[in-house]
Amino acid sequence: MQELTSIFVQSIFIDNMVFAYFLGMCSYLAVSRTVKTSMGLGIAVIFVLGITVPVNYLINEYLLGPGSLAWLGPDFVDVNLNFLSFIVFIAVIASMVQLVEMFIEKFSPALYNSLGIFLPLIAVNCAILGGSLFMQEREYQSIAEATSFGLGSGVGWLIAIVGIAAIREKIRYSNVPAPLRGLGITFIITGLMGIAFMMFLGIKI
Amino acid sequence: MSAEVKEKDPLFSLKNRKLISAPLNKDNPITIQVLGICSALAVTAKLEPSVVMALSVVFVLGVGNVLISLLRKTIPPRIRIIVQLTVIATLVILVDQFLKAFAYDVSKQLSVFVGLIITNCIIMGRFEAFGMANKPWPSFLDGIGNALGYGWILIVVGFLRELLGSGTVWGYPVFEKFGLYSVGYENNGMMILPPMALIVVGVIIWVQRTKVRELIEEN
Amino acid sequence: MFSNRYIFIYSAVMVIIVAALLSLTAMLLQPRQERNLTIANIQGILTAVNIEATSDDAEELYKTYIKTELAIDQDGRIASVYKNGRLEEGKVRPFDIDLKKELYNKKMGNPFIIPLYIAEKDGNTLYIIPLRGAGLWGPLYGNIAFGPDFNEIVGADFSHDKETPGLGAEISTKEFANQFIGKTIFNDAGEFVSVRVVKGGITTMPTAQQIHGVDAISGGTITSIGVSDMVNNCLENYISYIQNNFK
Repeated sequence: MQELTSIFVQSIFIDNMVFAYFLGMCSYLAVSRTVKTSMGLGIAVIFVLGITVPVNYLINEYLLGPGSLAWLGPDFVDVNLNFLSFIVFIAVIASMVQLVEMFIEKFSPALYNSLGIFLPLIAVNCAILGGSLFMQEREYQSIAEATSFGLGSGVGWLIAIVGIAAIREKIRYSNVPAPLRGLGITFIITGLMGIAFMMFLGIKI
Repeated sequence: MSAEVKEKDPLFSLKNRKLISAPLNKDNPITIQVLGICSALAVTAKLEPSVVMALSVVFVLGVGNVLISLLRKTIPPRIRIIVQLTVIATLVILVDQFLKAFAYDVSKQLSVFVGLIITNCIIMGRFEAFGMANKPWPSFLDGIGNALGYGWILIVVGFLRELLGSGTVWGYPVFEKFGLYSVGYENNGMMILPPMALIVVGVIIWVQRTKVRELIEEN
Repeated sequence: MFSNRYIFIYSAVMVIIVAALLSLTAMLLQPRQERNLTIANIQGILTAVNIEATSDDAEELYKTYIKTELAIDQDGRIASVYKNGRLEEGKVRPFDIDLKKELYNKKMGNPFIIPLYIAEKDGNTLYIIPLRGAGLWGPLYGNIAFGPDFNEIVGADFSHDKETPGLGAEISTKEFANQFIGKTIFNDAGEFVSVRVVKGGITTMPTAQQIHGVDAISGGTITSIGVSDMVNNCLENYISYIQNNFK
């Protein structure tokens, strides 16, 4: 349990998807105009990361990794389908996003109305694919660890986007040079936030 | 921008030429459309990888946009994202596999970029905004144009970060040759860290919008 | 406009085409790719002892210089010997050991074996240890060569799959690897201390310690830590072997 908590906390602050790895930047910069919408997108990202990372973990463990087909019989021990991992992970993410979309649409129209428009955006969010690839690289020992990593990364992303959205809401009242307004100042603020988050780098929990 | 281009247009009509020129400035993928930022941050610490990445994206986006445009009438909208991602991933993986087998040294240099290209949202973004709605030739031009618009920003950022961060251009020690270090100049190590790429792009946006004032946002 | 049936068939056809295409190329190209990998491996081992090999003469040079391959188990005993192109002892050729798998066994507390290459160059016996670890985005590899006393490093070579170009990726440069030359892994008391990659440069260390450190890559902190961990994690497996045979 302690291991799970430390993975969770570590992936929120130290390995923050946005500030430590600069993943998921496009939707981060484009959708962070108001706190409300960025909250919606953030929750959707947590949701999708929390589902796709464990699913891809199982796929990696029982289909793609070296020696993972051993359960089919001794003949399959040497089969290595690793070259397929990119495409399989992407397909899983895209279809999960689509499934989640259909599922929410059917069972909770209210949630769908607030989340719905963000779901297609998420399939192209590189933080999601990044999550699955990191999971493969870091060789988590169990599905619980993978899930905890997925959820933690999602929460880290949510904190990042809500943070920038709050700053952007306030900055509207500041006297920013006209050509820098909107996107320009957002880039620069994100850079500064990234520098601030660097102090977490190298901390081990 | 994504309006259907008429069939009788000559190959390089004004409209078609715009497809190439607009993304270089007024419709730039990075500074206006906010696409492909992650890779722009990852590869621009040095000039050389920036150029490699720019060229790879020109190739992949040009070819990919044509493929999607050819398939556009058959793709069911519900699963279009999966189809688009599959097309692009297959293309990139195939190229990677061939390089690994026949040009191992090149593949070692490029392997970093494979993942970055597949997840580059500029590619999905253009498929979605243009390739899905237009004929192959305009799609090809649109792909090339956007890739070039993306590429020049990458190259400018890569150039600045390498020059100021490491004091070199394409590995050549410029500042050392000028003797700047002997008069007390020091490299700004900050420049090669990813956050500085964001700030450099922010400054490029600033310069660009000062020149093209119609791009200025409301808040 | 598109029925569910159409969507289903469309995706099924797409999956089959893509899977067939990718598997076919993977299968056809696999022998060539594996050969390239083997050659890259050999080149890495040779670079560690400062022999530049092209992909054409790598195998030839390997045969000339690396006369003996040993496999060593977790207690420092020799598990197999491969000499002059023949397996003289044990079951596996040390060159074919999957280091990733063995390091996993080590982590799990299971028995493991690790390779050691012995080179004869200019009348000296050099010992080469292969390394494997994790960087920021993917695996790191490398080889470290030791002089006849198995303490002083005479050469090193590092490579990676997908570290950030211009930052972490700099570990594969000669400048970084050459820093390891002349460093030692045992202190004066004979204790194993490894060689650490030091953030901020080795000038921040006490002078006596500087022989056990190299400068980190600026902007490549996580990759540098990865190299440090990799060197420590791979070298420590050989301690009992070294202490049994070189002390």
